[in-house]
Amino acid sequence: QLWSKTVFPVDTIDGLSPDTSYCFQVQASLPAEAKEGLFSPVTCATTTHKAVKDLLCPTNLRVLGLDMEFQLLWDHQYPQPVTYNVQYLTGYFKRLPEDYSVKWLGVPGCASVTSRSCQVSSVITTTGFYYLRVQARAEGNKSCLSREVRVEPLKTNELGPPGVKLDLSDTLLHVQISPPGGPKGDFMSDNYGLSYRILYWKNSSNAEEDPRVKETKQTVATLTELTPQTLYCVKVQAISEFYNKSSAYSQEQCTHTPAEKTFPLIIFGTFVVALVAVLFMVLPLGFVVYQAYRKIKYVFFPSCQPPLNIEGFGGELCTSPYLAAPEEPVENCSVIESMITQEGNQIPLKDSQHSKQSSRDSGNYSNDDTTLGSKSSAETLGKELI
Amino acid sequence: IMNAFGLIQIGLVLLCTTIISSHQCNHLPLQQGKVIENSLRLLDKMGKSFPQQCLREKMSFRFPKQVLQPGQKEIAKAAIEEIFHHIFYIFSKNLSLAAWDGTALDQFQNGLYQQIEQLESCVIKKHTRYCWSKEVSRLKLKKYFQKIDCFLKDKQHNLCSWEISRAEMRRCLQLIDKTTRKL
Repeated sequence: QLWSKTVFPVDTIDGLSPDTSYCFQVQASLPAEAKEGLFSPVTCATTTHKAVKDLLCPTNLRVLGLDMEFQLLWDHQYPQPVTYNVQYLTGYFKRLPEDYSVKWLGVPGCASVTSRSCQVSSVITTTGFYYLRVQARAEGNKSCLSREVRVEPLKTNELGPPGVKLDLSDTLLHVQISPPGGPKGDFMSDNYGLSYRILYWKNSSNAEEDPRVKETKQTVATLTELTPQTLYCVKVQAISEFYNKSSAYSQEQCTHTPAEKTFPLIIFGTFVVALVAVLFMVLPLGFVVYQAYRKIKYVFFPSCQPPLNIEGFGGELCTSPYLAAPEEPVENCSVIESMITQEGNQIPLKDSQHSKQSSRDSGNYSNDDTTLGSKSSAETLGKELI
Repeated sequence: IMNAFGLIQIGLVLLCTTIISSHQCNHLPLQQGKVIENSLRLLDKMGKSFPQQCLREKMSFRFPKQVLQPGQKEIAKAAIEEIFHHIFYIFSKNLSLAAWDGTALDQFQNGLYQQIEQLESCVIKKHTRYCWSKEVSRLKLKKYFQKIDCFLKDKQHNLCSWEISRAEMRRCLQLIDKTTRKL
Protein backbone atom coordinates (compact mmCIF):
# COMPACT_ATOMS: atom_id res chain seq x y z
CA GLN A 1 0.00 0.00 0.00
CA LEU A 2 1.21 3.50 -0.90
CA TRP A 3 0.82 6.61 1.16
CA SER A 4 1.69 10.17 0.21
CA LYS A 5 2.35 13.13 2.49
CA THR A 6 3.66 16.64 2.07
CA VAL A 7 6.41 17.19 4.59
CA PHE A 8 8.74 19.90 5.77
CA PRO A 9 12.55 19.58 5.54
CA VAL A 10 12.54 18.21 9.12
CA ASP A 11 9.37 16.39 9.93
CA THR A 12 7.69 13.47 11.69
CA ILE A 13 5.42 10.80 10.29
CA ASP A 14 3.18 9.26 12.91
CA GLY A 15 0.35 6.80 12.96
CA LEU A 16 2.56 3.90 11.87
CA SER A 17 1.91 0.35 13.03
CA PRO A 18 4.46 -1.11 15.47
CA ASP A 19 6.94 -3.77 14.42
CA THR A 20 6.48 -3.05 10.72
CA SER A 21 8.95 -2.28 8.00
CA TYR A 22 8.33 0.87 5.99
CA CYS A 23 10.09 2.24 2.93
CA PHE A 24 10.31 5.91 1.93
CA GLN A 25 10.98 7.99 -1.15
CA VAL A 26 11.06 11.78 -1.37
CA GLN A 27 10.32 14.11 -4.26
CA ALA A 28 10.99 17.83 -4.31
CA SER A 29 8.67 20.21 -6.15
CA LEU A 30 8.40 23.86 -7.03
CA PRO A 31 4.66 24.48 -7.02
CA ALA A 32 5.01 28.07 -8.10
CA GLU A 33 6.53 26.90 -11.38
CA ALA A 34 4.52 23.67 -11.63
CA LYS A 35 7.75 21.72 -11.53
CA GLU A 36 8.32 18.34 -9.89
CA GLY A 37 11.66 16.66 -9.40
CA LEU A 38 12.74 13.03 -9.55
CA PHE A 39 12.22 10.70 -6.61
CA SER A 40 15.11 10.04 -4.25
CA PRO A 41 16.46 6.51 -3.74
CA VAL A 42 14.37 4.31 -1.47
CA THR A 43 15.17 4.12 2.27
CA CYS A 44 13.63 1.55 4.59
CA ALA A 45 13.17 1.41 8.37
CA THR A 46 11.37 -0.84 10.85
CA THR A 47 9.19 0.44 13.66
CA THR A 48 9.49 -0.93 17.19
CA HIS A 49 6.72 -1.51 19.68
CA LYS A 50 5.58 0.83 22.41
CA ALA A 51 7.92 0.88 25.41
CA VAL A 52 6.54 1.04 28.90
CA LYS A 53 8.05 4.43 29.54
CA ASP A 54 5.99 5.78 26.70
CA LEU A 55 3.00 5.72 28.98
CA LEU A 56 4.48 8.92 30.30
CA CYS A 57 3.75 10.72 27.04
CA PRO A 58 0.48 12.64 26.89
CA THR A 59 -1.77 11.61 24.04
CA ASN A 60 -4.78 12.79 22.10
CA LEU A 61 -3.90 16.46 22.06
CA ARG A 62 -6.75 18.60 20.88
CA VAL A 63 -7.52 22.29 20.79
CA LEU A 64 -10.95 23.71 21.44
CA GLY A 65 -11.64 27.25 20.41
CA LEU A 66 -14.72 29.30 21.16
CA ASP A 67 -14.92 32.97 20.28
CA MET A 68 -11.13 33.12 19.92
CA GLU A 69 -10.48 31.61 23.36
CA PHE A 70 -8.33 28.52 22.85
CA GLN A 71 -7.82 25.64 25.23
CA LEU A 72 -5.46 22.71 24.80
CA LEU A 73 -6.62 19.37 26.21
CA TRP A 74 -4.84 16.05 26.41
CA ASP A 75 -5.16 12.57 27.86
CA HIS A 76 -2.76 10.91 30.17
CA GLN A 77 -2.74 7.68 32.14
CA TYR A 78 0.15 7.44 34.51
CA PRO A 79 0.12 6.00 38.01
CA GLN A 80 2.34 8.64 39.58
CA PRO A 81 1.80 12.40 39.86
CA VAL A 82 2.94 14.37 36.82
CA THR A 83 3.44 18.02 35.95
CA TYR A 84 3.02 19.36 32.44
CA ASN A 85 4.71 22.05 30.35
CA VAL A 86 2.96 23.32 27.28
CA GLN A 87 5.16 24.55 24.44
CA TYR A 88 4.36 26.24 21.17
CA LEU A 89 6.15 26.79 17.88
CA THR A 90 5.38 29.55 15.37
CA GLY A 91 4.49 27.59 12.27
CA TYR A 92 6.71 29.11 9.62
CA PHE A 93 9.95 27.99 11.28
CA LYS A 94 9.39 24.53 9.91
CA ARG A 95 9.63 25.90 6.40
CA LEU A 96 13.09 27.37 6.93
CA PRO A 97 16.19 25.24 6.43
CA GLU A 98 17.52 25.98 9.92
CA ASP A 99 17.03 23.70 12.87
CA TYR A 100 13.83 24.81 14.52
CA SER A 101 14.05 22.63 17.61
CA VAL A 102 15.47 25.58 19.54
CA LYS A 103 12.48 27.74 18.58
CA TRP A 104 9.98 25.95 20.81
CA LEU A 105 8.81 28.33 23.52
CA GLY A 106 6.81 27.81 26.69
CA VAL A 107 3.24 29.06 26.79
CA PRO A 108 2.89 31.59 29.61
CA GLY A 109 0.65 30.30 32.36
CA CYS A 110 1.05 26.69 31.29
CA ALA A 111 4.35 25.79 32.92
CA SER A 112 4.29 23.02 35.56
CA VAL A 113 0.53 22.60 35.58
CA THR A 114 -1.13 19.54 37.02
CA SER A 115 -4.43 19.59 35.17
CA ARG A 116 -4.77 18.09 31.71
CA SER A 117 -5.75 21.33 30.04
CA CYS A 118 -4.45 24.84 29.64
CA GLN A 119 -5.47 28.19 28.16
CA VAL A 120 -3.28 29.02 25.17
CA SER A 121 -5.09 32.11 23.81
CA SER A 122 -2.19 34.39 24.67
CA VAL A 123 0.07 32.91 22.00
CA ILE A 124 -2.50 32.00 19.36
CA THR A 125 -3.01 35.06 17.20
CA THR A 126 -4.87 35.14 13.88
CA THR A 127 -1.86 35.58 11.69
CA GLY A 128 -0.64 32.19 10.63
CA PHE A 129 -0.60 28.82 12.34
CA TYR A 130 1.06 27.17 15.33
CA TYR A 131 2.17 23.83 16.71
CA LEU A 132 1.57 22.82 20.32
CA ARG A 133 3.05 19.99 22.37
CA VAL A 134 3.03 18.89 25.99
CA GLN A 135 5.96 17.74 28.04
CA ALA A 136 5.12 15.53 31.00
CA ARG A 137 7.50 15.35 33.95
CA ALA A 138 7.42 12.64 36.56
CA GLU A 139 9.61 11.84 39.55
CA GLY A 140 13.11 10.65 38.85
CA ASN A 141 13.75 13.16 36.07
CA LYS A 142 11.63 11.22 33.64
CA SER A 143 10.01 13.24 30.92
CA CYS A 144 8.34 12.72 27.60
CA LEU A 145 7.25 14.99 24.83
CA SER A 146 3.89 14.39 23.28
CA ARG A 147 3.19 14.56 19.56
CA GLU A 148 2.56 17.96 18.05
CA VAL A 149 -0.81 19.25 17.14
CA ARG A 150 -1.23 21.89 14.42
CA VAL A 151 -3.52 24.81 15.17
CA GLU A 152 -4.95 27.14 12.54
CA PRO A 153 -6.78 29.70 14.66
CA LEU A 154 -9.56 30.71 12.31
CA LYS A 155 -10.23 27.12 11.26
CA THR A 156 -10.06 25.66 14.76
CA ASN A 157 -12.11 28.36 16.39
CA GLU A 158 -15.85 27.83 16.67
CA LEU A 159 -18.42 30.60 16.63
CA GLY A 160 -20.48 31.31 19.68
CA PRO A 161 -24.06 32.57 19.54
CA PRO A 162 -24.56 36.25 18.71
CA GLY A 163 -26.34 38.72 21.00
CA VAL A 164 -29.93 39.71 20.16
CA LYS A 165 -32.05 42.73 21.11
CA LEU A 166 -35.59 43.42 19.95
CA ASP A 167 -37.02 46.84 19.24
CA LEU A 168 -40.64 47.69 18.36
CA SER A 169 -42.05 50.50 16.24
CA ASP A 170 -45.64 50.44 14.90
CA THR A 171 -45.99 47.21 13.00
CA LEU A 172 -42.27 46.73 12.45
CA LEU A 173 -39.99 44.62 14.60
CA HIS A 174 -36.31 45.58 14.57
CA VAL A 175 -33.70 43.01 15.49
CA GLN A 176 -30.34 44.31 16.69
CA ILE A 177 -27.57 41.74 16.46
CA SER A 178 -24.20 41.95 18.17
CA PRO A 179 -21.48 39.63 16.84
CA PRO A 180 -20.29 36.74 19.03
CA GLY A 181 -17.23 37.05 21.20
CA GLY A 182 -18.15 40.19 23.11
CA PRO A 183 -15.17 42.55 22.89
CA LYS A 184 -13.58 40.42 20.16
CA GLY A 185 -16.82 40.59 18.20
CA ASP A 186 -15.76 43.15 15.63
CA PHE A 187 -12.51 41.30 15.10
CA MET A 188 -14.32 38.05 14.46
CA SER A 189 -16.92 39.66 12.26
CA ASP A 190 -14.14 41.14 10.18
CA ASN A 191 -12.06 37.99 9.78
CA TYR A 192 -14.91 35.58 9.21
CA GLY A 193 -17.10 37.76 7.02
CA LEU A 194 -20.06 36.92 9.23
CA SER A 195 -23.66 36.79 8.09
CA TYR A 196 -26.69 36.06 10.26
CA ARG A 197 -29.75 33.84 10.00
CA ILE A 198 -32.82 35.03 11.88
CA LEU A 199 -35.58 32.60 12.83
CA TYR A 200 -38.91 34.05 13.97
CA TRP A 201 -42.33 32.54 14.64
CA LYS A 202 -45.70 33.15 16.27
CA ASN A 203 -45.74 31.79 19.78
CA SER A 204 -49.45 31.12 20.15
CA SER A 205 -50.91 28.22 22.11
CA ASN A 206 -53.39 27.04 19.46
CA ALA A 207 -51.62 26.89 16.08
CA GLU A 208 -48.01 25.91 15.55
CA GLU A 209 -46.63 27.92 12.67
CA ASP A 210 -43.53 27.17 10.64
CA PRO A 211 -40.77 29.56 11.64
CA ARG A 212 -39.84 32.14 9.03
CA VAL A 213 -36.24 32.70 8.05
CA LYS A 214 -34.43 35.92 7.20
CA GLU A 215 -30.79 36.08 6.22
CA THR A 216 -28.72 39.24 6.46
CA LYS A 217 -25.17 40.48 6.44
CA GLN A 218 -26.03 43.53 8.53
CA THR A 219 -26.28 43.71 12.29
CA VAL A 220 -29.74 45.30 12.10
CA ALA A 221 -32.73 43.66 10.46
CA THR A 222 -36.41 44.55 10.23
CA LEU A 223 -39.19 41.99 10.31
CA THR A 224 -42.29 42.96 8.36
CA GLU A 225 -45.72 41.51 7.70
CA LEU A 226 -46.40 40.70 11.30
CA THR A 227 -49.90 40.28 12.62
CA PRO A 228 -50.70 42.78 15.38
CA GLN A 229 -51.32 41.84 19.00
CA THR A 230 -49.38 38.58 18.77
CA LEU A 231 -46.46 37.14 20.66
CA TYR A 232 -43.47 36.66 18.37
CA CYS A 233 -40.22 34.90 19.29
CA VAL A 234 -36.84 35.42 17.60
CA LYS A 235 -33.49 33.61 17.64
CA VAL A 236 -30.35 34.30 15.60
CA GLN A 237 -27.41 32.27 14.32
CA ALA A 238 -24.04 33.55 13.04
CA ILE A 239 -22.64 32.00 9.85
CA SER A 240 -19.26 32.18 8.14
CA GLU A 241 -19.62 31.09 4.55
CA PHE A 242 -15.93 30.91 3.74
CA TYR A 243 -14.94 28.85 6.75
CA ASN A 244 -18.16 26.83 6.57
CA LYS A 245 -18.97 27.50 10.19
CA SER A 246 -22.20 28.26 11.98
CA SER A 247 -22.77 29.13 15.58
CA ALA A 248 -25.39 27.82 17.95
CA TYR A 249 -28.63 29.77 18.08
CA SER A 250 -28.89 32.62 20.51
CA GLN A 251 -31.42 32.55 23.34
CA GLU A 252 -35.01 33.12 22.27
CA GLN A 253 -36.33 36.64 22.67
CA CYS A 254 -40.07 37.18 22.62
CA THR A 255 -42.20 40.30 22.34
CA HIS A 256 -45.82 41.35 21.67
CA THR A 257 -46.63 43.29 18.53
CA PRO A 258 -48.87 46.34 19.17
CA ALA A 259 -52.53 46.77 18.11
CA GLU A 260 -53.41 48.30 14.80
CA LYS A 261 -53.99 52.04 14.75
CA THR A 262 -56.91 53.76 12.97
CA PHE A 263 -54.94 53.73 9.86
CA PRO A 264 -57.41 55.14 7.27
CA LEU A 265 -58.19 58.26 9.33
CA ILE A 266 -54.58 59.30 9.35
CA ILE A 267 -54.34 58.85 5.62
CA PHE A 268 -57.49 60.90 4.97
CA GLY A 269 -56.38 63.69 7.29
CA THR A 270 -52.98 63.88 5.67
CA PHE A 271 -54.61 64.01 2.25
CA VAL A 272 -56.92 66.92 3.14
CA VAL A 273 -54.12 68.93 4.68
CA ALA A 274 -51.94 68.35 1.66
CA LEU A 275 -54.73 69.37 -0.71
CA VAL A 276 -55.35 72.64 1.13
CA ALA A 277 -51.65 73.41 1.25
CA VAL A 278 -51.29 72.84 -2.48
CA LEU A 279 -54.28 75.06 -3.26
CA PHE A 280 -52.84 77.84 -1.15
CA MET A 281 -49.59 77.63 -3.03
CA VAL A 282 -50.80 77.00 -6.57
CA LEU A 283 -53.53 79.69 -6.85
CA PRO A 284 -51.41 82.75 -6.02
CA LEU A 285 -48.61 81.39 -8.19
CA GLY A 286 -51.01 81.01 -11.09
CA PHE A 287 -52.29 84.54 -10.63
CA VAL A 288 -48.78 85.98 -10.57
CA VAL A 289 -47.85 84.09 -13.71
CA TYR A 290 -50.94 85.37 -15.54
CA GLN A 291 -50.21 89.00 -14.63
CA ALA A 292 -46.63 88.65 -15.76
CA TYR A 293 -47.84 87.25 -19.07
CA ARG A 294 -50.12 90.18 -19.65
CA LYS A 295 -47.42 92.74 -18.94
CA ILE A 296 -44.95 91.05 -21.21
CA LYS A 297 -47.51 90.88 -23.99
CA TYR A 298 -48.30 94.59 -23.58
CA VAL A 299 -44.65 95.68 -23.66
CA PHE A 300 -43.19 93.48 -26.35
CA PHE A 301 -46.17 92.47 -28.49
CA PRO A 302 -48.79 95.24 -28.32
CA SER A 303 -52.00 94.85 -30.35
CA CYS A 304 -52.53 97.35 -33.15
CA GLN A 305 -56.28 97.95 -32.91
CA PRO A 306 -56.93 101.69 -32.70
CA PRO A 307 -59.85 102.88 -30.56
CA LEU A 308 -63.16 102.63 -32.40
CA ASN A 309 -63.82 106.40 -32.44
CA ILE A 310 -60.72 107.08 -34.58
CA GLU A 311 -61.01 105.98 -38.18
CA GLY A 312 -58.78 105.83 -41.14
CA PHE A 313 -55.61 104.40 -39.68
CA GLY A 314 -56.01 101.01 -41.16
CA GLY A 315 -53.87 98.04 -40.44
CA GLU A 316 -50.51 99.67 -39.96
CA LEU A 317 -47.51 97.95 -38.62
CA CYS A 318 -47.14 99.54 -35.20
CA THR A 319 -44.31 99.33 -32.86
CA SER A 320 -44.17 99.19 -29.09
CA PRO A 321 -44.11 102.57 -27.41
CA TYR A 322 -41.38 101.34 -25.05
CA LEU A 323 -39.00 100.06 -27.61
CA ALA A 324 -36.80 102.25 -29.82
CA ALA A 325 -38.71 103.52 -32.89
CA PRO A 326 -37.28 102.81 -36.28
CA GLU A 327 -35.35 105.69 -37.79
CA GLU A 328 -37.38 108.14 -39.87
CA PRO A 329 -36.00 109.32 -43.18
CA VAL A 330 -34.23 112.64 -42.69
CA GLU A 331 -33.37 115.23 -45.38
CA ASN A 332 -30.15 117.11 -45.26
CA CYS A 333 -30.94 120.82 -45.22
CA SER A 334 -28.57 123.75 -45.49
CA VAL A 335 -29.10 127.51 -45.35
CA ILE A 336 -28.23 129.49 -48.57
CA GLU A 337 -26.97 133.06 -48.07
CA SER A 338 -29.64 135.51 -49.36
CA MET A 339 -30.40 139.35 -50.06
CA ILE A 340 -31.12 140.13 -46.45
CA THR A 341 -27.46 140.89 -45.67
CA GLN A 342 -27.14 143.72 -48.33
CA GLU A 343 -30.03 145.93 -47.06
CA GLY A 344 -28.94 145.63 -43.53
CA ASN A 345 -25.56 147.26 -44.39
CA GLN A 346 -26.99 150.73 -45.27
CA ILE A 347 -28.57 151.44 -41.96
CA PRO A 348 -25.30 151.62 -39.93
CA LEU A 349 -23.89 154.23 -42.48
CA LYS A 350 -26.84 156.49 -41.84
CA ASP A 351 -27.26 156.27 -38.12
CA SER A 352 -23.73 156.11 -36.67
CA GLN A 353 -20.36 156.65 -38.20
CA HIS A 354 -18.26 154.50 -35.83
CA SER A 355 -20.06 151.14 -36.25
CA LYS A 356 -18.41 148.40 -38.25
CA GLN A 357 -19.27 147.65 -41.78
CA SER A 358 -19.77 144.05 -42.42
CA SER A 359 -20.10 144.25 -46.14
CA ARG A 360 -18.01 145.64 -48.87
CA ASP A 361 -20.90 147.12 -50.68
CA SER A 362 -20.38 150.70 -51.46
CA GLY A 363 -23.94 151.71 -51.17
CA ASN A 364 -24.65 152.08 -54.82
CA TYR A 365 -28.09 150.81 -54.37
CA SER A 366 -29.28 153.57 -52.11
CA ASN A 367 -32.97 153.71 -51.46
CA ASP A 368 -33.29 157.37 -50.28
CA ASP A 369 -35.42 158.40 -53.22
CA THR A 370 -37.96 155.63 -52.65
CA THR A 371 -41.31 156.00 -50.91
CA LEU A 372 -41.76 156.06 -47.18
CA GLY A 373 -43.09 152.50 -47.08
CA SER A 374 -39.98 150.89 -48.40
CA LYS A 375 -37.71 153.01 -46.21
CA SER A 376 -39.59 152.01 -43.16
CA SER A 377 -39.35 148.43 -44.20
CA ALA A 378 -35.57 148.72 -44.60
CA GLU A 379 -35.34 150.29 -41.17
CA THR A 380 -37.38 147.55 -39.68
CA LEU A 381 -35.08 145.05 -41.27
CA GLY A 382 -32.01 146.85 -40.05
CA LYS A 383 -33.33 147.01 -36.53
CA GLU A 384 -33.99 143.41 -36.65
CA LEU A 385 -30.47 142.74 -37.78
CA ILE A 386 -28.89 144.93 -35.08
CA ILE B 1 6.35 30.56 -40.42
CA MET B 2 5.34 33.79 -38.72
CA ASN B 3 1.71 32.84 -39.14
CA ALA B 4 2.29 29.51 -37.47
CA PHE B 5 4.11 31.21 -34.61
CA GLY B 6 1.32 33.71 -34.18
CA LEU B 7 -1.22 30.90 -34.12
CA ILE B 8 0.74 29.07 -31.47
CA GLN B 9 0.83 32.23 -29.37
CA ILE B 10 -2.91 32.69 -29.73
CA GLY B 11 -3.43 29.06 -28.90
CA LEU B 12 -1.36 29.45 -25.77
CA VAL B 13 -3.28 32.51 -24.67
CA LEU B 14 -6.61 30.78 -25.24
CA LEU B 15 -5.41 27.78 -23.31
CA CYS B 16 -4.44 29.99 -20.44
CA THR B 17 -7.75 31.83 -20.36
CA THR B 18 -9.98 28.77 -20.22
CA ILE B 19 -9.40 28.06 -16.58
CA ILE B 20 -11.92 26.99 -13.99
CA SER B 21 -10.99 28.18 -10.54
CA SER B 22 -11.90 26.00 -7.60
CA HIS B 23 -14.32 26.90 -4.82
CA GLN B 24 -11.52 27.49 -2.34
CA CYS B 25 -9.83 30.02 -4.56
CA ASN B 26 -12.97 32.04 -5.10
CA HIS B 27 -13.06 33.07 -1.48
CA LEU B 28 -9.38 33.80 -1.32
CA PRO B 29 -9.61 37.56 -1.96
CA LEU B 30 -11.43 38.10 1.34
CA GLN B 31 -8.81 36.24 3.32
CA GLN B 32 -5.91 37.59 1.32
CA GLY B 33 -7.06 41.13 1.90
CA LYS B 34 -6.96 40.46 5.63
CA VAL B 35 -3.50 38.90 5.42
CA ILE B 36 -2.12 41.87 3.54
CA GLU B 37 -3.74 44.29 5.98
CA ASN B 38 -2.20 42.43 8.89
CA SER B 39 1.17 42.20 7.16
CA LEU B 40 1.28 45.95 6.56
CA ARG B 41 0.37 46.60 10.17
CA LEU B 42 3.04 44.23 11.47
CA LEU B 43 5.63 45.67 9.08
CA ASP B 44 5.04 49.05 10.66
CA LYS B 45 5.03 47.61 14.17
CA MET B 46 8.37 45.82 13.69
CA GLY B 47 10.51 48.92 13.81
CA LYS B 48 10.46 52.62 14.36
CA SER B 49 10.09 55.34 11.74
CA PHE B 50 12.62 55.48 8.94
CA PRO B 51 15.98 56.75 10.31
CA GLN B 52 17.20 60.03 8.87
CA GLN B 53 20.78 58.86 8.40
CA CYS B 54 19.63 56.18 5.98
CA LEU B 55 18.11 58.64 3.53
CA ARG B 56 21.45 59.06 1.81
CA GLU B 57 21.68 55.38 0.96
CA LYS B 58 18.17 55.20 -0.45
CA MET B 59 17.95 53.35 -3.73
CA SER B 60 15.23 53.04 -6.30
CA PHE B 61 14.44 49.42 -7.07
CA ARG B 62 11.60 49.98 -9.55
CA PHE B 63 8.99 47.37 -8.88
CA PRO B 64 7.62 46.02 -12.20
CA LYS B 65 4.02 47.20 -11.88
CA GLN B 66 2.95 45.50 -15.09
CA VAL B 67 3.14 42.20 -13.22
CA LEU B 68 -0.01 43.12 -11.32
CA GLN B 69 -1.95 44.39 -14.27
CA PRO B 70 -2.39 41.41 -16.56
CA GLY B 71 -5.64 40.84 -18.34
CA GLN B 72 -6.38 37.57 -16.56
CA LYS B 73 -7.18 37.31 -12.86
CA GLU B 74 -5.63 33.88 -12.49
CA ILE B 75 -2.23 35.05 -13.68
CA ALA B 76 -2.37 37.93 -11.20
CA LYS B 77 -3.02 35.41 -8.41
CA ALA B 78 0.01 33.38 -9.46
CA ALA B 79 2.09 36.56 -9.53
CA ILE B 80 0.97 37.49 -6.02
CA GLU B 81 1.88 34.00 -4.78
CA GLU B 82 5.38 34.41 -6.15
CA ILE B 83 5.77 37.87 -4.62
CA PHE B 84 4.81 36.46 -1.21
CA HIS B 85 7.45 33.77 -1.67
CA HIS B 86 10.12 36.35 -2.37
CA ILE B 87 9.17 38.58 0.56
CA PHE B 88 9.11 35.57 2.87
CA TYR B 89 12.55 34.55 1.69
CA ILE B 90 14.04 38.02 2.12
CA PHE B 91 12.86 38.35 5.72
CA SER B 92 13.94 34.87 6.70
CA LYS B 93 17.59 35.43 7.60
CA ASN B 94 20.35 37.76 8.81
CA LEU B 95 18.00 39.97 10.75
CA SER B 96 20.19 40.50 13.82
CA LEU B 97 21.44 43.95 12.84
CA ALA B 98 17.94 45.18 12.05
CA ALA B 99 17.04 45.02 15.74
CA TRP B 100 13.31 44.71 15.10
CA ASP B 101 10.54 43.54 17.40
CA GLY B 102 10.87 39.75 17.29
CA THR B 103 7.21 39.02 17.98
CA ALA B 104 5.95 41.31 15.25
CA LEU B 105 8.47 39.86 12.81
CA ASP B 106 7.44 36.31 13.68
CA GLN B 107 3.78 37.12 13.21
CA PHE B 108 4.53 38.84 9.91
CA GLN B 109 6.41 35.85 8.53
CA ASN B 110 3.88 33.43 9.92
CA GLY B 111 0.94 35.16 8.29
CA LEU B 112 2.79 35.41 5.00
CA TYR B 113 3.74 31.77 5.06
CA GLN B 114 0.24 30.58 5.84
CA GLN B 115 -1.04 32.55 2.86
CA ILE B 116 1.62 30.94 0.66
CA GLU B 117 0.52 27.52 1.84
CA GLN B 118 -3.11 28.38 1.13
CA LEU B 119 -2.26 29.55 -2.36
CA GLU B 120 -0.19 26.45 -3.04
CA SER B 121 -2.96 24.12 -2.00
CA CYS B 122 -5.64 26.26 -3.58
CA VAL B 123 -5.93 24.44 -6.83
CA ILE B 124 -4.44 27.14 -9.01
CA LYS B 125 -4.34 24.95 -12.03
CA LYS B 126 -1.10 23.73 -13.49
CA HIS B 127 -2.12 25.57 -16.61
CA THR B 128 -2.05 28.89 -14.80
CA ARG B 129 1.29 28.17 -13.20
CA TYR B 130 2.70 27.18 -16.53
CA CYS B 131 1.38 30.32 -18.19
CA TRP B 132 2.72 32.47 -15.41
CA SER B 133 6.14 30.86 -15.63
CA LYS B 134 6.33 31.84 -19.28
CA GLU B 135 5.39 35.48 -18.71
CA VAL B 136 8.06 38.00 -19.59
CA SER B 137 7.15 40.21 -16.64
CA ARG B 138 7.96 37.31 -14.32
CA LEU B 139 11.65 37.69 -15.15
CA LYS B 140 11.41 41.39 -14.32
CA LEU B 141 9.91 40.45 -10.97
CA LYS B 142 12.72 38.01 -10.23
CA LYS B 143 15.26 40.66 -11.20
CA TYR B 144 13.63 43.15 -8.85
CA PHE B 145 13.88 40.86 -5.85
CA GLN B 146 17.38 39.80 -6.75
CA LYS B 147 18.38 43.46 -6.75
CA ILE B 148 17.09 43.83 -3.20
CA ASP B 149 18.84 40.64 -2.12
CA CYS B 150 22.16 41.82 -3.58
CA PHE B 151 21.70 45.23 -2.02
CA LEU B 152 21.31 43.63 1.42
CA LYS B 153 24.32 41.38 0.87
CA ASP B 154 26.52 44.27 -0.30
CA LYS B 155 25.67 46.28 2.80
CA GLN B 156 26.19 43.20 4.99
CA HIS B 157 22.61 43.40 6.19
CA ASN B 158 23.24 46.53 8.22
CA LEU B 159 20.49 48.62 9.78
CA CYS B 160 20.11 51.08 6.92
CA SER B 161 19.91 48.41 4.24
CA TRP B 162 17.22 46.62 6.23
CA GLU B 163 15.21 49.81 6.78
CA ILE B 164 15.35 50.64 3.09
CA SER B 165 14.27 47.12 2.20
CA ARG B 166 11.45 47.26 4.71
CA ALA B 167 10.15 50.50 3.18
CA GLU B 168 10.36 48.93 -0.26
CA MET B 169 8.41 45.87 0.85
CA ARG B 170 5.73 48.08 2.34
CA ARG B 171 5.31 49.77 -1.02
CA CYS B 172 5.14 46.37 -2.69
CA LEU B 173 2.45 45.08 -0.32
CA GLN B 174 0.40 48.23 -0.81
CA LEU B 175 0.40 47.61 -4.54
CA ILE B 176 -0.72 44.05 -3.99
CA ASP B 177 -3.44 45.31 -1.65
CA LYS B 178 -4.78 47.56 -4.39
CA THR B 179 -4.75 44.71 -6.89
CA THR B 180 -6.42 42.25 -4.51
CA ARG B 181 -9.30 44.63 -3.92
CA LYS B 182 -9.96 44.74 -7.65
CA LEU B 183 -9.87 40.96 -8.06
